[in-house]
Amino acid sequence: MAQVKTEQQQPAATGTTLIVLVGLGVAFLLFMAFLNVVKTGNLLNESNLLFAALIFYSGAGALYLGFGVTGTESYVKFASLATWVGLIANTGAVAHRWYEAGHAPFASVYEMLLSFVWTLAVLTLIAEKKYKVKVIGTVTMPVAIVGVVLMQLLRTEVHPLVPALQSTWLHVHVTLAMLAYAACALSFALAMMFLIQDHMKTETFLAATSASALGIYASIVLTRFEKWGGLSLVGWNVEAKQEMFLSRGVRLFVVIPELGWLLLLTTLVVATPLALYGLARWKKNDGFLANANRAVFVSILLQIMTLVMFLLRARDGAYPSLDADGLFTTSLAASPFILSGLVGSIFISLLYLLLVWRRPDLERLLPDATSLDRITYKTICIAFPLLTLMIAAGAYWANQTWGSYWNWDPKETWAAITWLVYAAYLHMRVTRGMRGRTAAYFAVGGFAVVMFTFFGVTYLLPGLHAYA
Amino acid sequence: MALSFRAVARKTWQTAASIKTGVVLLILVVILAAVGTVILQRPMTEADDMQRAYSPQALRLLDGMGLTDVFHAWWFIGLMLLVSCSIIAASIDRFPNAWRYYARPYKYPDSAFRRALHPQKSVAIQDEETGLVAAERALHCLRLKPERVVREDHFGIFAERHRISEMAVYIVHASLLLIFFGWIIDGVYGWRGTLNLNEGQTSNVVDLRDGTTRSLPFAIRCDSAGQENYKDGSPKKWWSKLAVVESARDVETKEIVVNDPLVYQGVRFYQSSYGPNGKVDKLLVAATQNPAFSAGSKASPATSGGTREFGLTVGESVDLDADTSVRFAEFIADYAVRDGQVYKRSNDMGNPAAHLIVTSKASGKSFDVWFPALDEVADNSKSPYLLEPKDLKMGHFTGLQVSHEPGQWGVWAGVVLLGVGLAFVFYVIHVRFWAVPVRDERTGQLSLWIGGSANRNRDAFEQKFNELIAAVEKEVNPSSMDAPSEHIATVATR
Repeated sequence: MAQVKTEQQQPAATGTTLIVLVGLGVAFLLFMAFLNVVKTGNLLNESNLLFAALIFYSGAGALYLGFGVTGTESYVKFASLATWVGLIANTGAVAHRWYEAGHAPFASVYEMLLSFVWTLAVLTLIAEKKYKVKVIGTVTMPVAIVGVVLMQLLRTEVHPLVPALQSTWLHVHVTLAMLAYAACALSFALAMMFLIQDHMKTETFLAATSASALGIYASIVLTRFEKWGGLSLVGWNVEAKQEMFLSRGVRLFVVIPELGWLLLLTTLVVATPLALYGLARWKKNDGFLANANRAVFVSILLQIMTLVMFLLRARDGAYPSLDADGLFTTSLAASPFILSGLVGSIFISLLYLLLVWRRPDLERLLPDATSLDRITYKTICIAFPLLTLMIAAGAYWANQTWGSYWNWDPKETWAAITWLVYAAYLHMRVTRGMRGRTAAYFAVGGFAVVMFTFFGVTYLLPGLHAYA
Repeated sequence: MALSFRAVARKTWQTAASIKTGVVLLILVVILAAVGTVILQRPMTEADDMQRAYSPQALRLLDGMGLTDVFHAWWFIGLMLLVSCSIIAASIDRFPNAWRYYARPYKYPDSAFRRALHPQKSVAIQDEETGLVAAERALHCLRLKPERVVREDHFGIFAERHRISEMAVYIVHASLLLIFFGWIIDGVYGWRGTLNLNEGQTSNVVDLRDGTTRSLPFAIRCDSAGQENYKDGSPKKWWSKLAVVESARDVETKEIVVNDPLVYQGVRFYQSSYGPNGKVDKLLVAATQNPAFSAGSKASPATSGGTREFGLTVGESVDLDADTSVRFAEFIADYAVRDGQVYKRSNDMGNPAAHLIVTSKASGKSFDVWFPALDEVADNSKSPYLLEPKDLKMGHFTGLQVSHEPGQWGVWAGVVLLGVGLAFVFYVIHVRFWAVPVRDERTGQLSLWIGGSANRNRDAFEQKFNELIAAVEKEVNPSSMDAPSEHIATVATR
């Protein structure tokens, strides 16, 4: 894989070089994996299938990136072939999991990721075949790879369902939610592409990317920064493979020293491009923007360093806690949201760099603005009924389990807010003829609300309550 | 004066019905709902937790503004009513137009409409009849039923499909109102509470959420309840066998589990928890005659030395022999001894004690037997019978959620209708085609003007329209496209 990555830096390579290199890389990794399998003698189990999916998705991701950077058409054919094979392995893993667990794989973060990656791969192939948006894999495949890597870190054993979760309606609800959120994600990606094709200024993207990266870092620092520069993480009981609790419902937080300072520093560096952008707008001097792009580059390096430090220190090791005496262990599995935040922030910054360096190529490759606008609307037309049914199924399940179809709990309320935002989009579009930029901003805003419902409600709101 | 009143009324109506008002109201709902998720909410959060989370001043302020129970505050419900009014007003305002559109389809396009319509196309034809027949055939191929529109001075062809799609948005709005309606009915007439029953207990009093109680016109008895575990010990299933008792008669029985409630007279009983209730179901005791006692007593029975085992519930007495009886006086889940007295420390089962009293009728003496044998208070060894605890079976309670939601049928009907409406809105498309023969006034060339319109998904429609045009051109002018000969034949026979 390292070979392939270094080759990425030289897009001048001829059309077939990358394909051959990726092919060799995939074959090599498969061979190594096969040797390992022969040793253990267990071929078709979930982790092997998942590993195969990872290998093929990585190959596809490398080829899609190559396509995104160089625009060589022949990459796409092999990339989608690799995606197909990866998808088959992924389907096998999902099926195996389903069979083992006896319920649809939606019960834990691990299982949700498994299903999410599967949905993402399917949607990528559909978008590519049906709507000819070839470049979509450049965005979705890295996300899928991150998803599979995250899964390798999280707990994998089948956990029994507590009584309240044993309902077909729950599975219906979660499946619909996954589909709806995936459709919203797609509409977001399409809206972003529309904005590129609509000649939105690159520096506006700069402001947006660094603002969202800053949002991620700021929310981590604000909720997790402890006295004397520590970073507090949820403790993880290695034997029981679950979070540690002080008492019922109160999690035990461990503090990793010095990591807080590093995160604070990264937050400041991530904020620099935004500050320079603000300065450029204020002084009407575009000279600041070139520096802002450099600052993005620096911030990516620092972000990668932060991620590596986080991985190294949070993976194992025992740390003190503020609330209890002694040393406690933690694990990456205890902080999936922080991890995805760090990875996601690097990913969006890299996407921005891709835009800065290759904007003319991207504009050549993407469909024209009008059709992107229309496809965005179509995707939302699919997402909205799915959202409606998702909420209805959830309400029905809640009615059977808790005795009330609507309890106004934060997750429910935010799902309703998401629904309202998309309802407003459709109303503005149909009755007010909203098109183009405004519609795209709306789609982007809608997806931001979806992300908040998905991550923010689980991570930020209880966090807020715990610290208030 | 009357005029200005009417002007004001009209203005108000227009404001209420405008999409802007609707969007502003929805934004308000969104903001308030978001606030309700950020600030801790009263019924869900315990009062202690609220006090821990906010300072007293802040809490007073939040309470005063109703922000600690946003979703049940009068202004939130008022806002929802305003949203309902806005939906109703917007629907009524637009309905006459839509209804006209629906009830009297526009079948003959006038020249202004023909100029503005997109997509449209003109096909040169020999005579009017040939052109119209060709259009009819092409429309038949698209599985439409074209009709001839004949007016005094002009005629043409009109075909359409799924006209109902124009009304779909009203189905969606009606369903939303139905959901709101059901929800408001529930808010006014509905209630929720809990009912904890021990095995064998019958009750008709439900503890409501606001701290009051409610008596049901019928009672619920729990015959048995239980829990099944996974291998790792986490709970897999809770069940309760419930019976509905009305005027001392069992009218209905059902075994409920989580996700499968019992419904009787619109009141729903949900399994929500299960656990030990801290009360004794049965205490198994072994009794042996006390040799020390019997030696000094003439009242000892002839049949001595045997050990008897029996079960006792709290308050129950059992005769040990003709003279002596034992009563299970009291059970303390968590005891403490101070100054020769036994106290209850808490209700947690951690440190239990049982108090039995052995009484002799003849002598009138009674002995306190304690398990465990508490030195300060127990006369265990002085009792005529030596008692030994064998087993303690604790009782269990089943926790039921009780709710009465008379409006939920409105909600579910609304949800179903919403699904249907959205399916119509997004996937059923009203498609219309017109074909009119037109003679150009300058050149005198006769042509067939064809126009089409779809209320959604217009790019896919345009493709279909182009197919139609191709089909019409083929019908009109078969020779130019090496068409098979039967086409000419059929046209000729007409």
